[in-house]
Amino acid sequence: MNGARCLLRLQSVGFLAPSVRAAVQHAALLQPATALSQITVRNTCGQALRRFHGSPGCYKSQPVPTDPGEEHEDRVKKDKSLITHDDLFERVAREAKTKATFNRVVDVFSKRDIRRRGHVEFIYAALKKMPEFGVERDLTVYNKLLDVFPKEVFVPRNFIQRMFNHYPRQQECGVHLLEQMENYGIMPNVDSKVLIVQIFGDKSHPMRKYQRIMYWFPKFKHANPFPVPVQLPEDPVDLARLSLNRIANDLDAKVTVYQMPCTDISESGEITFPHVVGIQSPDQMELLAKHNPNRPVFVEGPFPLWLRKICVYYYILRADPLPPEEKVEEPYDPERCFDFPLQLDLDLDRDMGDDDSFDVEDVDEGPVFAMCMTSQGDQATLNQWISGLQETNPILGRVPTLFRLEAGPRELQGVADPGPGYREEGEEEVETDIVVEEEHQRSQGVKQ
Amino acid sequence: MAVSRATHFTPAVRFLGSCYKQRHLAPHLSVGWRAISGGEYKRPGQTQDNTPIWKKFDFDKGVEGIRKHFTLLKNEFLGRWTGPEGKPLIEHILEQTRVIWEFRGPESLEQWTVSSDQEIGGRSEAYLKLGRNNTTCLMYGTLCSAPPRDGETRYSGYCTMRSKPPMGSFDSKKHHDWSSFNTLHLRIRGDGRPWMINVGAETYFSHQKDDMYSYFLYTRGGPYWQDVKIPFSKFFLSSRGRIQDDQHPLWLDKVNTIGITLGDKADGPFQLEIDFVAVCNDRAHTEEFAYEVYKRNPEV
Repeated sequence: MNGARCLLRLQSVGFLAPSVRAAVQHAALLQPATALSQITVRNTCGQALRRFHGSPGCYKSQPVPTDPGEEHEDRVKKDKSLITHDDLFERVAREAKTKATFNRVVDVFSKRDIRRRGHVEFIYAALKKMPEFGVERDLTVYNKLLDVFPKEVFVPRNFIQRMFNHYPRQQECGVHLLEQMENYGIMPNVDSKVLIVQIFGDKSHPMRKYQRIMYWFPKFKHANPFPVPVQLPEDPVDLARLSLNRIANDLDAKVTVYQMPCTDISESGEITFPHVVGIQSPDQMELLAKHNPNRPVFVEGPFPLWLRKICVYYYILRADPLPPEEKVEEPYDPERCFDFPLQLDLDLDRDMGDDDSFDVEDVDEGPVFAMCMTSQGDQATLNQWISGLQETNPILGRVPTLFRLEAGPRELQGVADPGPGYREEGEEEVETDIVVEEEHQRSQGVKQ
Repeated sequence: MAVSRATHFTPAVRFLGSCYKQRHLAPHLSVGWRAISGGEYKRPGQTQDNTPIWKKFDFDKGVEGIRKHFTLLKNEFLGRWTGPEGKPLIEHILEQTRVIWEFRGPESLEQWTVSSDQEIGGRSEAYLKLGRNNTTCLMYGTLCSAPPRDGETRYSGYCTMRSKPPMGSFDSKKHHDWSSFNTLHLRIRGDGRPWMINVGAETYFSHQKDDMYSYFLYTRGGPYWQDVKIPFSKFFLSSRGRIQDDQHPLWLDKVNTIGITLGDKADGPFQLEIDFVAVCNDRAHTEEFAYEVYKRNPEV
């Protein structure tokens, strides 16, 4: 009654895969012919139920023939006593490192031996090689790797096996695979679950790991209030648009493309113009309009911004904080908003229990007037941004503009109060007059 | 009866008092034994400090220590007359916000420890300094997630900054008691990287000493400051970097440390500017715990 036993076991495993179900139905139909049904199940599951007294030699079958070149390589490999599975990947990697070749290696391994001898080492080697082949974020590849494990062998059959750690190396390997998925942020699907249940049983360590992933991943999937798209745009202008919108934190802010990236071929040679993309909100324009023209404004940067694994740099236009004697308390304009009073002057009996403010001094930093991103952070390019800003903010023509640029990325900091001789390393501080700036702009225009 | 009880009582108090003195005063009036013997933790790669013991005595340091600890002791005694934790009772009951750390001078950086994966052989670097006008704290450095080549470490790449646990007089244990608040409030300016906030609370059993309650801190990036409010109910329990199956809410009456960790596997420079770290009572937030506690997870 081998077939019936096998059916019972499969049912207890809680299988879901349709192929297995079909096989079992088939087996149930052929129940009187025990031997036949056993063969059916063996073929579908890829692994036979070993009889108690049977030697593994009885089950040794010829490896599934693959294409002749690989077979030859297999023969060469069999001569060696130590088989390293890195080697299999290395040989394929010489041609091309793609998903297709990776899958081919896994297929070659699975078809070589019905008992999948050395599959733990193979899976460890494959997991290590995944980033090289660029498949470390591919769920189907992970499922394919899980499929390399022989099915049903590692499922504990009685309570004693269940009590002790059944096939610990194999379970560790399965957990390792799931952990790598977790590290790359890949959520397993139902196929993975079916495979794990078939391989290790429903209360095994890999199953626990799977359940933990399935519990915690969806909880934190949307925890980020400032989400970054998984696929960042390739186009630098689109990327700049996205990042500027992110850092501006203002829905009214308007992105302006001051210059598209283009290559110009003139008699003097090939000139590449970098892209210049800027953002400015109405509030910032208002602030800039109120700026005292005697005080300089600064172009600073580059400051880093990280979008997942990509770092982009931005530049800001800002001013020094106002000295305390020049600060004017502006009263709220009561007609600015009729629906919602901006200031309430009620004498309520409020005590400490109603005070939700924090007892800290405010950090006084100068206002930020605009931000921009460009691929080439030299002064000529940024001048172009400033002259583009001048069209909407005429005050910039009267305000001296100072450039404080650094060659490399620098920390995001406000303006330290520069003394008279204050100069940072590698800083070019150039005061541009309006006339110079206008001329510069004109010459740029001619070049275009 | 009363007399006998009283006589019974007095020597016990005297004995306890002497115990207290011996346990707490003796090691600190002289220099601590570990400081003398050079028994401090030796980082891998450091050479052993072979300075003889008698060269490590510093009279000024001892006097400084005595002054500091007795001042703390005096404040502890006199503070009780004012109210709990040295604050008036009305303030203790009614306060809705409390600023725990603000960075307004070089001495405020003393309360923090910076470390990176160099301790396990990695190559990340992290530094802490005061930001602009000495009014903010800037943590900067580079992250490098290449694991050390020791054959067993599989992951690396973290930089962290952790507050030192509060100490009373003579280095007795003290804890932050935030039980009247429910939200952590930070004012930060980052560069778009996600960070993690770890709160370490006092535990009873020694196997719980690595327990931490964590939540994520997402930064927007850009030149503007960002106010972040994280309810304490969202903090989940983890131990040695693994989320635990049976979760329970963070008990706020004995909080030891708070840490901010970066480990987002993106190699490169990072920076985070912190203005202040505060706790507040958000009356609109009524959630007690954000995760399931009524059954084991995953269910057995």
